[in-house]
Amino acid sequence: MSSNQTRKRKKTSFFIRGTYFDYTALFLILFLVCFGLLMVYSTSSYIGNRNYGDSAYFFKRQLIFAVLGIVCMLVVSRIRYQKLKNFSLIFMIAETLLLLLVLIIGSASNGSTRWIEIAGIRFQPSEIAKMALVIYMAHICTAKSKEMRNFLDTVKMFLFPAGMIVLIAIENLSTAIICFVIVVAIWFVATPNLKYLLIFGAVGVALAVAGIFLVGYRGDRIEAWLHPETSENGYQTMQSLYAIGSGGLFGRGLGQSIQKMGFIPEAHNDMVFSVICEELGIVGAVGVIIVFLMLLWRFKFISEGAPDRFGGLLVTGIIAHIAIQVIINISVVTNVMPNTGVTLPFVSYGGTSLVFLLIEMGLVLSVSRQIRPHRERDRNASVPEER
Amino acid sequence: MKNFSISSRNRVFLMVLVVTLCTVGLTGRLAYLMIFHSQYYIDLATALHERERSIKAPRGIIYDVNGEVLAGNRPVSTVSVIYNQVTDPETVIDTLSDMLDMDRNEVAEKVNKRSVREKIKSNVDKETADALRDLELDGVMVDEDYKRYYPYESLASKVIGFTGADNQGIVGLEVSYDEYLMGENGSINTLTDARGLELENLPERRVEPKSGYNLVTTIDMNIQSYAEQLAEKVLIEKNAKRVCILVMNPQNGEILALVDVPEYNLNDPYKLPEGTVAYTEEEKQDALNRMWRCFCINDTYEPGSTFKTVTATMAFEAGVLSVEDTFNCPGFKIVEDRKIRCSKVTGHGHQTFRQGIMNSCNPVFMEVGARVGVEGFYYYYDRLGLNDKTGIDLPGEAASIIHKKENVGPVELATMSFGQSFQITPLELARAVSAIVNGGTLVTPHFGKYITDENDNIVKVLEYPTVEGAVSEETSATMRDLLLSVVSEGTGKNAKVEGYAIGGKTATSEKLPRRNNKYISSFLGFAPADDPQVLALILIDEPEGVYYGGTIAAPVVGKLFSDILPYLGIEADYYPEETETN
Repeated sequence: MSSNQTRKRKKTSFFIRGTYFDYTALFLILFLVCFGLLMVYSTSSYIGNRNYGDSAYFFKRQLIFAVLGIVCMLVVSRIRYQKLKNFSLIFMIAETLLLLLVLIIGSASNGSTRWIEIAGIRFQPSEIAKMALVIYMAHICTAKSKEMRNFLDTVKMFLFPAGMIVLIAIENLSTAIICFVIVVAIWFVATPNLKYLLIFGAVGVALAVAGIFLVGYRGDRIEAWLHPETSENGYQTMQSLYAIGSGGLFGRGLGQSIQKMGFIPEAHNDMVFSVICEELGIVGAVGVIIVFLMLLWRFKFISEGAPDRFGGLLVTGIIAHIAIQVIINISVVTNVMPNTGVTLPFVSYGGTSLVFLLIEMGLVLSVSRQIRPHRERDRNASVPEER
Repeated sequence: MKNFSISSRNRVFLMVLVVTLCTVGLTGRLAYLMIFHSQYYIDLATALHERERSIKAPRGIIYDVNGEVLAGNRPVSTVSVIYNQVTDPETVIDTLSDMLDMDRNEVAEKVNKRSVREKIKSNVDKETADALRDLELDGVMVDEDYKRYYPYESLASKVIGFTGADNQGIVGLEVSYDEYLMGENGSINTLTDARGLELENLPERRVEPKSGYNLVTTIDMNIQSYAEQLAEKVLIEKNAKRVCILVMNPQNGEILALVDVPEYNLNDPYKLPEGTVAYTEEEKQDALNRMWRCFCINDTYEPGSTFKTVTATMAFEAGVLSVEDTFNCPGFKIVEDRKIRCSKVTGHGHQTFRQGIMNSCNPVFMEVGARVGVEGFYYYYDRLGLNDKTGIDLPGEAASIIHKKENVGPVELATMSFGQSFQITPLELARAVSAIVNGGTLVTPHFGKYITDENDNIVKVLEYPTVEGAVSEETSATMRDLLLSVVSEGTGKNAKVEGYAIGGKTATSEKLPRRNNKYISSFLGFAPADDPQVLALILIDEPEGVYYGGTIAAPVVGKLFSDILPYLGIEADYYPEETETN
């Protein structure tokens, strides 16, 4: 214990340099951000020129956020991530207040109220919720690992996150689903008792299904999903399929998409992947998927090397976050699942999303700084502690 | 401090593995869409992106037998406006309404319409179009186009017919040969964005138009125009309702001329003749249809005495008549309870059959008809194709009207024998007589000779069915001889042409209802009588004054033959001596 005490004291500085840095992950992240900027320019130049008289309108805005995000990422990567435990509850409370605020004063976009404007900066609180949940879940699943064996305690533990997800679901079901997946993923990795997870998972899935069928416009989306060619709401899906299908093996060539000429509504947003398919073909599309997979496997490696349970769970949550968005986004554009507005991480246009994603990347990199050599020995050492 | 346990690590591995499997599944879906169904989506997307501007295919030309253009194309232009490109709408509106002679409000409405491309006026003549193009007004497009043009205007109008605005045949040969003449329109396919704006700097897909095939007809414009002059002259002299002249080759059914005056101007086919009163749209349409119809094909009439050629043929074929049989005509014949008169009230007296046909004596033919009998009459009537349409390559051929066989008694048979109480088209008569004089072959009258391509190569030789043996050679020879006598010494002598052996038969049919003094005077002639190359039928509808076919119709054919026989290279065979002996 005494050695532990001294070690803790040594580590109390807020920033660290660390012994290791995962340049592979950094490279993959930067690659995705640059590729995203390229695709945002490609998909939005026509609409930008048409609506704002500037073909680089969206590109410039995204570039600013990308630079801001990368700076944030590099700063966050130097933080001793364990310090975040102290702020996790504050993040959650602040986020809850923001979500309540958005319901009261938020501005509408596409039928749902999701935006909030503070001091001239417009952002989506629900994008921040994902990160707040990752940190909070990683923290409580570390701090209360004993309670997870008891049903009632488990329920108490998850009341706050569950309440927040319901709050998000009111206006933004797709983000709520992502948050739900993050919570379940961290729990799944952390819990010694998978039985409770199954109950919680079943309840969550039932709620999501009910939400889909009960809430107004989503019923139409099911119809559009099943019969996109005939449904009056199937326009967007069909446009996406036209784009993907006309990509063929090698695509029309970068910048040559025709579907982005106003056929796909806001091609630079959720539907960006269909334009990637159209311009770069299946070769380019699979290439993008592979880069995401490489990143996720790299994160898996970082989580394995994490010096503590909190770091491992933190990375787990971030893996879940990116993975679920990639899967849902591609499923939507290929009409594997009903249309729901989930962005493709790093690539889709959107400032809040990009900045907070990059902050999460900073967290992963910060965990990577504390990877210690001789992981094998540590892993062996950890066995008795848990069992 | 808590470590990240092995079971947790394994679960992270499991999680990432599941994610990887999901992406493999999605890659499968992508392959399905992008490789196996790629063409399907490319086609759908192309249909969505491309806008088609059609390029009109030039319609095939209709030629006469000598290569004269009967129906051609004249370049005209279509003027349209592209809303997004108009910079100065007021000037555009002013200029267009002024130059195209259109109502200013109408033009303004079209110019200000938010459409991709709004057509202002089509069929603008080349001069105006060129002037407009030279002004280079922003947003004003002048596109070359073709308009059907008929150089001879009204000549053979009822044969050639005309086309509608969409280049489609409406009446006449233009309709019959539409599929050949039409061609295939080409198109310029340009890519557009979602709002329909054409995208610049992208390749256009161009499908070249395919010009229509040309039609070479059997019409000879020289004969047609001469026949029309003659018809016009008679029309005026006799103040007739209409005059039709049909000139055809009885050997193969080729029609050299078909006149039906008054004709109409093919370049302005919707203009009714002066003085036509038509108040409602319906009346106007009726008047137009009347103006466009061709009597020889679209209407039936009682042929009258020209039909006696058919009756005589029936009798010869049935073997119940010989040329030297004698008959007596007291000026009438009593059939059952009816006294049916001869045209010569005092009677022709004693005469052979040859004299009977030369005199066009009704009692002789009533007797001949009675010999043939109802069964025989209907049998030969059908053999000579009178129950059927001729199959001519013009639309709207009328069907003949005849009593039901079981309703025909001696009186009906007697009247039918000299061409009354049934109706056929003039063309059916011409075809039947052609068979009678050409050795017995029932031909299909027609205009179409060849279909040729742009370079005048023959694409298709048009062929028409013929039926041989409708009449025996022997009967045919007899009939030629008898009909020669009709012209040389009988009622048809006004059709005589110096130096030529002409055969023919006159007719004067009283129109229904009778006793209205309305007649159709006609003459059917052919030459040379021993080997007929030309057959002409003239009908004068409702002539005033003298109405005898032999007096007013026969001389017209005589004049026609005297001109066209040398023109057709048919040499005169007996001359000066006979003139001198006269």
